[in-house]
Amino acid sequence: MLVIENLQARVDAEDGDGRQILKGVSLKVPAGEVHAIMGPNGCGKSTLSYVLSGRDGYEITGGSMSFDGQDLAEMEPEERAAAGVFLSFQYPVEIPGVPTLTFIKEALNAQKRLRGEDEVPAPAFMKLAREAAAQLGISNDMLKRPVNVGFSGGEKKRMEIFQALMLQPKFLILDETDSGLDIDALKVVAEGVNALRNEERGMLVITHYQRLLDYLKPDVVHVMAAGRIQETGGPELAHKLEKEGYDKYAGEAA
Amino acid sequence: MTVALKLTDMETALIDQLPQDAPLRAVLSEHGLPHRRVEEWKWTDLRTVVGKLPAEPGVLTFTISREPDAWAEQDEEPSLLMPRLASALGEDIQVYTLEDGERLELGLEASSGVSNQQVLVLVPEGVKAELVESYAVEPDGFANLTLVIVVMPGAELDRVIEQHASPDAALVVTSLIDLAPGAKLNQTTLGFGAKLARLETHVSHAGEGAELQLDGAYVLDEGLHLDQTSLVRHEGPNGVTKELFKGAAARGAKGVFQGKIHVEQAAQKTDAQMQHRGLLLDDKAEIDAKPELEIYADDVVCAHGNAFGALDEDALFYMRQRGLPESKARALLTQSFLAEPIERIRDEDDRERLLARLMVGLEALS
Ligand SMILES: Nc1ncnc2c1ncn2[C@@H]1O[C@H](COP(=O)(O)OP(=O)(O)OP(=O)(O)O)[C@@H](O)[C@H]1O
Ligand SMILES: [Mg+2]
Repeated sequence: MLVIENLQARVDAEDGDGRQILKGVSLKVPAGEVHAIMGPNGCGKSTLSYVLSGRDGYEITGGSMSFDGQDLAEMEPEERAAAGVFLSFQYPVEIPGVPTLTFIKEALNAQKRLRGEDEVPAPAFMKLAREAAAQLGISNDMLKRPVNVGFSGGEKKRMEIFQALMLQPKFLILDETDSGLDIDALKVVAEGVNALRNEERGMLVITHYQRLLDYLKPDVVHVMAAGRIQETGGPELAHKLEKEGYDKYAGEAA
Repeated sequence: MTVALKLTDMETALIDQLPQDAPLRAVLSEHGLPHRRVEEWKWTDLRTVVGKLPAEPGVLTFTISREPDAWAEQDEEPSLLMPRLASALGEDIQVYTLEDGERLELGLEASSGVSNQQVLVLVPEGVKAELVESYAVEPDGFANLTLVIVVMPGAELDRVIEQHASPDAALVVTSLIDLAPGAKLNQTTLGFGAKLARLETHVSHAGEGAELQLDGAYVLDEGLHLDQTSLVRHEGPNGVTKELFKGAAARGAKGVFQGKIHVEQAAQKTDAQMQHRGLLLDDKAEIDAKPELEIYADDVVCAHGNAFGALDEDALFYMRQRGLPESKARALLTQSFLAEPIERIRDEDDRERLLARLMVGLEALS
């Protein structure tokens, strides 16, 4: 469902002399599979998630990325969202003045409009929200507060998954969703993610830790270093990394 | 040496309508209409803009919730030029004396051409009332309106003003307000600008427990200009003034905020706060601001602030990643920035109405 081939991208820089961050990333995530990406700080994992979701500030210098056969590079961020791409941000953004539930409802209906579907009636939306909130241990008060404003790091991550449950995207990119979560919260959030798992849905899980993967049980693990996928394997690869670190890929850097 | 002013057709037409013996004739011939070399009008060049508008007489249409209580002639000439013109060239002054609990709605629509009018609103002692105004001017119109508002001791007035976008037109609304001891005024303006619009508010603040809340929000689309100028003069002790203005300007729009709080020596224990926040929606938007405190009393708490910003690009991307179209995301962010002054409106219906109007205005931004 997600096909990335030899993707190269650089960050735009003020002086016009941008740095190449993605240096030929290739990977395929078929529907129904969960793939993990692990890799040292600064190797380009978040950059990949931003390029996939269409954030400004990057220039694609080569390769391709497609989702369900559509060329992502040709689509606006909101079109990618409506097509089903959801990014759980490494650093969720605060949006003052916009209540969380209002925001999610606007977003859901905007996606549905773009897909030519009917909007969700308010009662059905509220029911969905109550169920998802209960599942993730999110209080009513949090839903009324402006998006992410004043939330703790862990609460923000929990709220990202709440949004995923509400929006029911076809594909999730989780960028370090586990960071900032305490042990209990990690379990709750992982269960939320697992609840979304099915044959039609794909996931790309960026993480530094084995603990989240213990819950999510990825089908495939990729090691990214220096802007490329260096190795691909099964879940055992994550355990190996946990023991050996990224030293053996260090030579690939620069 | 003064160089004789070459009058515009508009100025000549205005002068011709004034009585032969009116001192205003000489003032206008000598100085013309306010323009950018007059300090108070430096960002709002009325003279140039209305100089290009047709000088024929226009028609004012009032939509009012009730008839005025009286029509009066001017007894004391105002000192400012625009109110002087409004009083000299307008019909008799409409006088409203508000009753306790009354909500007076005053909708004003000006046609093309020139119109002038003065309105007097009295809020008698102890009375609590609402005044809800709306202003719109059709293309090629120039409307000059003056409201004299007297809030008597212990009275309370909630004033809500909506100024509709009026492209190719000019609007000047001058409010001359008397706030008596122990009186309260909450004024909130939502403005969308015109080719040139100036909403000017003067408050004589008696203190002695009198409280003024002077708020405004503005959204200016391409080619529109709105100037909100205010002068609050604290004349007695123990007065409170809270001002909050927030506005956003799109490409080619111009916002002006001039706020002055003057605290006389007699006005000890004055508590005065003034804030303006401007949001530039484009590199080619302009907002000019001049907040000023002039304080002659030594035991006061006064502060002012002014800041400019742009929309948070990270927030915009976050919202679009969730599926919101860019225009909607921009509108929501701008709305959340601008809502604060409107949210301070006490009447829930007015508050909701103006918040909705604000959103409509934002989504329509080109
Ligand atoms: N806007 C930018 N300008 C300059 N350099 C950038 C910019 N954005 C990212 N980079 C650089 O690109 C590299 C990759 O960053 P990225 O955030 O993708 O790393 P990451 O793999 O997600 O790291 P982490 O594990 O710490 O989250 C880093 O060296 C970073 O400094
Ligand atoms: Mg990262």
